[in-house]
Amino acid sequence: MKTLSGWLGAFLLLSGAAFLLGDYHNDVYRKMLLWVALALGYNFLFGICGQVAFSHFAFYGIGAYSVVILLFQLNVPLPLAVVLGVAICVVVALAVAIPSTRLEGFYLALATLALAQLFVVILNEGGTVTGGTGGIANYRLPEIFGFRLRGPSYTAVIVLLVLFTYFVLRKLDRSWFGRACRAVRDNPEAAAAMGVDVARTKVIAFTLTSALAGVAGMVYAFVDNTVNPPIFGLDNAFLLLFMVIVGGSGRHAGAVIGAVLLFLLPFWLSPLVGHHHVLVFGVLVLAAILLQPKGLIGLYDGWRSRS
Amino acid sequence: MTAGVLEVRRLTKRFGGLTAVTGLDFDVLEGEILGMIGPNGAGKSTTFNLIAGTYPATSGEVRFAGESILGLPPHRIAARGVLRTFQHNRPFDGMSVLENVLVGAHTRFHMGVFSRKASNEEAQRRRRAEELIEFVGLTDVRDAEVTTLSFGQGRLLEIARALAGEPRLILFDEPAAGLTPAELERIAGIIRGIAARGIAVLLIEHDMHFLLPLAQRVVVLNFGAKIADGLPDQIRADPAVTDAYLGSHAAAR
Repeated sequence: MKTLSGWLGAFLLLSGAAFLLGDYHNDVYRKMLLWVALALGYNFLFGICGQVAFSHFAFYGIGAYSVVILLFQLNVPLPLAVVLGVAICVVVALAVAIPSTRLEGFYLALATLALAQLFVVILNEGGTVTGGTGGIANYRLPEIFGFRLRGPSYTAVIVLLVLFTYFVLRKLDRSWFGRACRAVRDNPEAAAAMGVDVARTKVIAFTLTSALAGVAGMVYAFVDNTVNPPIFGLDNAFLLLFMVIVGGSGRHAGAVIGAVLLFLLPFWLSPLVGHHHVLVFGVLVLAAILLQPKGLIGLYDGWRSRS
Repeated sequence: MTAGVLEVRRLTKRFGGLTAVTGLDFDVLEGEILGMIGPNGAGKSTTFNLIAGTYPATSGEVRFAGESILGLPPHRIAARGVLRTFQHNRPFDGMSVLENVLVGAHTRFHMGVFSRKASNEEAQRRRRAEELIEFVGLTDVRDAEVTTLSFGQGRLLEIARALAGEPRLILFDEPAAGLTPAELERIAGIIRGIAARGIAVLLIEHDMHFLLPLAQRVVVLNFGAKIADGLPDQIRADPAVTDAYLGSHAAAR
């Protein structure tokens, strides 16, 4: 009961904030929440399971495009479109993960890099199905039980997504499955000797986090009511990696801090350095890797244990 | 003679032209400490890795609890109840001592992550892991990061982690390597305690002074073949063993 009220409190607080913000800030707030959801998932894959993949944004895009195409081109009802969208993510994730995790280490990185590139090419060349370089626009979220969710009330949906993602990942992390993931990351041979099926653990972690990215993509599709290719490219996939490293990989709190900080940083930096904030990110990531591999959350831990 | 928990028959392993293990036969009985010794390159580690599933065998048979385990991947062999320690400690660095031991219990979790009974199972396994940590004497560092452990503590962790998998057979790969005399005595006591619980112990060891007082039976390998098999006292007196192993090695000590 205590934990339930905690979750409820977090939901009310985070979604309540949206009603106090103006349109512009609400938009910034929502996008930040989406980055948090993505970073949480990517942290599980990269930080906890130790898999280097660049396909997280591709799955975000697969989710977004799937739900839009299913709803507005194939006229599938919303609940079914969501289920099918998740199913598509799962199938694609399995198709990438099963062959590449059977090979050693580096191959997943290569396969997901290829997938991410291929996905953008498909979007650009998809003709009327994907809308080509312009993407798809001018659609609206169907009514849900007679309600049309928009503005701050749609932000509540995003808050729900973040909390759901966090709930699932935290539960997994604190279970035998999360320990198996960490064991696979730290020492695959020892993990196998303890009875952990290394390949299977990797495939499950990859598929699950990819599906979560897909769900986030579906929610994203109705934030701007437009989906277009540049969002789902490699730039953002690398930014996600930076967020997790700067915040502290392997820790949920680290992922949240990294996502919030690196998302908001350009807003403060652009008056100072214009569009060169990527340069600042590069320096931050290098500093994190060289000086504090445990990221900002590692700094915080160190500070707390000293005081 | 009672059938062993582990039965190894005509086990052979060739690496290209090199025959590392030739026609090896031996059994390990329940609650018994079987020592396996031999000079460097005698095939001890290869035998160990064949049983644990790290390498495929060229021919022969390995039966555990009456069923063939040869050709199974390591994680399936562990799930059957054959757990191992590593000669060079291989902890999971990013985790605490307790979590490391809980990874050892991986195959003993049967509830789904989101199942209602999952937290009961987790609590039960955690208590069991704490008992094992106490058994090997690491209670003081239970919540410490494993990177802060000494080498000897790391070896104790290897043992607790393997025990968490509830083995019927535990394989020790040179557990004495790199330990101080005080730590050796401690490990010997722990290994006796494990066998006393009815667990079969296969102990591969280089250090005769550690192994002979501890093992109930000893198998001696040289050039990949068994050259002797018997009680520690018989092994000490066996001229073939003295020639192959003790002659050069014991004199140096």
